[in-house]
Amino acid sequence: MRLYMSCESYPTGDGVISMARKSIVVAGVGGQGLITIGGVLGEALSEKGFNVSVGEVHGLSQRGGSVVVFLKYGDGSVSPIVTTGEADLIIGLELIEAARRLQLARKGGFVIVNDFLLPPPAAGKVPSREELLKSIRGSGLNDFVIDANGLALKAGSEIAVNMVMIGASLATRVIDVSVEDIERILTRRFKGELLRINLEALKLGYEEVEKKRYSSQVK
Amino acid sequence: MPKAIISGNAGERKLLLGNEAIARGALEAGISAAAAYPGTPSTEIIESLVDVAGEYGIYVEWSTNEKVALELGIGVSMMGLRSLVAMKHVGLNVASDPLMSLGYTGVIGGLVIVTADDPNAHSSQNEQDNRLYGIHANIPVFEPSTVQEAKDLTKALFEVSEKFQLSVILRTTTRLSHSRSPVVFGEVTRPSRDASFHKNPERWALLPPYNLVKHREVLERLKKLEEYLSEFRFNSVVKGEDNVAVVTSGITYNYVLEAVEELGVKPTIYKLSSVFPLPRKIALEILNYEKVIVVEELEPVIEWQLKIIGYEEKTGAEIYGKTVFPRVGELNKELAKAGIAAVTGIEYKPPEAALSPPGLPRRPPVLCPGCGHRSTYYAVKLAAQRARVKPIYANDIGCYTLGFYPPYEMADFTWSMGSSIGIGLGIARFSKEPVIAFIGDSTFYHAGIPALINAVYNKTPLLVIVMDNSITAMTGHQPHPGSGVGPSGESRPQIKIEDVARAVGVKFVEVVDAYDVTIVRDTVQRALRYIKETGEVAVIVSRRPCALLDVRNRRRRGEEIRPYIIDEAKCINCGICVDKFACPAIVRENSGKPRILAELCVGCGVCASICPAKAIRPAMG
Repeated sequence: MRLYMSCESYPTGDGVISMARKSIVVAGVGGQGLITIGGVLGEALSEKGFNVSVGEVHGLSQRGGSVVVFLKYGDGSVSPIVTTGEADLIIGLELIEAARRLQLARKGGFVIVNDFLLPPPAAGKVPSREELLKSIRGSGLNDFVIDANGLALKAGSEIAVNMVMIGASLATRVIDVSVEDIERILTRRFKGELLRINLEALKLGYEEVEKKRYSSQVK
Repeated sequence: MPKAIISGNAGERKLLLGNEAIARGALEAGISAAAAYPGTPSTEIIESLVDVAGEYGIYVEWSTNEKVALELGIGVSMMGLRSLVAMKHVGLNVASDPLMSLGYTGVIGGLVIVTADDPNAHSSQNEQDNRLYGIHANIPVFEPSTVQEAKDLTKALFEVSEKFQLSVILRTTTRLSHSRSPVVFGEVTRPSRDASFHKNPERWALLPPYNLVKHREVLERLKKLEEYLSEFRFNSVVKGEDNVAVVTSGITYNYVLEAVEELGVKPTIYKLSSVFPLPRKIALEILNYEKVIVVEELEPVIEWQLKIIGYEEKTGAEIYGKTVFPRVGELNKELAKAGIAAVTGIEYKPPEAALSPPGLPRRPPVLCPGCGHRSTYYAVKLAAQRARVKPIYANDIGCYTLGFYPPYEMADFTWSMGSSIGIGLGIARFSKEPVIAFIGDSTFYHAGIPALINAVYNKTPLLVIVMDNSITAMTGHQPHPGSGVGPSGESRPQIKIEDVARAVGVKFVEVVDAYDVTIVRDTVQRALRYIKETGEVAVIVSRRPCALLDVRNRRRRGEEIRPYIIDEAKCINCGICVDKFACPAIVRENSGKPRILAELCVGCGVCASICPAKAIRPAMG
């Protein structure tokens, strides 16, 4: 009988089964530029030759609702969903949304959080900033809490908060791309003043987490 | 202008959405036409084809509904040309009438019908499994497993469609349609065929006794296709070591690969792209295994087919499917692991994870700052209070469905496209309280008009409020017959809702500015009186361009967007702006006083118009 397609050999063969796979979760509120974070990181990883999956949910969730982007990459097959306890890194652009996705992180993973609380409109009881920070710090993850909104403003515009978060996430060394890789992609995507702001925001985010990493080592 | 995402030469590698990959595949197959009504998660297929329509000489349209889109595709096929028609899963319900006939006639030019299903109902009213439509309509169904395969399979299906003279269904799901992965481009085929009508009344006119002849013929063609599919290159197998076979299809294949790796088991994995008809030869090979585990989302479509073949061929294989996997919601790696572990008798331990704190508030999507739907809802509530009535609020499908949430709670039901009017008629016939049906502009053209005509003809007291933002907003601003423009922004005739309403005999038709709360309120009150007194239908068109789009356009033109501020000295802290109007740009400070977030406010000024203390005004320039 002729085989009805390439018969893949088990387990590694031509790389059907991935041996090294990493998962990143980007959490925030619709309008914070989460899809761009997924797109930019995905493009950079794809150019490095990885197989990449950037999972987004469109439609209803855009209108100021809670948004999550799943990014997975590796040498072989990657699925579009990050499940409980799988993520190596959580990038949270808002405190409630970051806290909501903590359970996706694996033990010993990283979490980078923008120190920004945006209560849902018409919500009843909302946990305080301090309570949320406490649960993030008590999650057993390597946490970095940064004022990404402030850094974005310093770079030139609050819109660049997503670039600050990309820069910050690169400083954890979890994602296998460099600041230069991201700069190259931004240079293709943007121009003029917008490019300058985005590059600056990327740098500020990176430096902020580098600084925190360094000071925690000194301690 | 930046280069379109699906434009490019053979060999280029780009990060594409599953939907964009499907569009690229159609481009490579040389389609002449593509049509759709927008709907999550299918919209980007046609959107990305719109961007290259000029470059490659393809006709691309946004149709008024899915039935019309499919019918257009059938017509193109009769002209001997290839076309792609796309819709979300529930859209195929609307197109199901021509679909069933298409199952009998088959096609000349290749016709691929893309159904983007939504397991988990992320943005839909249900999670129906449209693979069953294929079985119902005698139309073969295929599922891609990766973004690359979405492109390659789409292209190949045009060949299959023409070889067997059958239309085909390409079924994708949210997780594939909305995942980006690298895709290597193939060669684009420019549409070059001569178009000519394939006249054949005995084939195309489904009258007795030709229809039964067609039914017989299609079953024969499906049988031939089924034999062909046993060597279809998109069905594949990963040979394992144990006497266990795992059968899967679509995006689920990726969950299975991750699951077996993490469990450390090595079953033989069959990945089926052709899920209907199931190739018998492959099925028999699968049924040779002692245990067969079918991992598929939603309905047991593959499982049932395998069980039937197993029964007919008297194989002894144990077949596991929905006994170990959920039938509701999506699957993922962990669910795949749990099910495979249960059958193979190995221990499954959920992974150790960090903990999310309990009691986090939900964050449902909200109407945008400056949205005309909000001010309309607000005004309608005021009108109902003044008229001392408790209306039954019929709602429909679009951004305005968000009126379901507090503080508005103005959706007593939402059903399917256009049902606010249709179901509203049944309620209004027997209700003592008035029925107010909210329907969006795009939904009105899609499926609201026949129900409105019914209301006029059968004299039913109903107030229809068309929430008109001049665009199909929820899916990302696709134009419709009321927009006055075509898919690329070119000028098109504008069919006005008020003209349609008057033309079908509605006597009470008023157009109001959605931002003018007083006018909307008073008009609604008059309309409520009118339907009560006359027993007839009234239509109010509450119009304002989509705020999201409007602000974007204003920014692009360099216009200043001046936010409003609350004068603390004047504010009496009545809470109307923050609790009753509930614009996301207005928040309550820790002090309890409301404040307007300048970065969110788009300066619509509606809050200022409803503030009883006149405490809200534009910020100084």
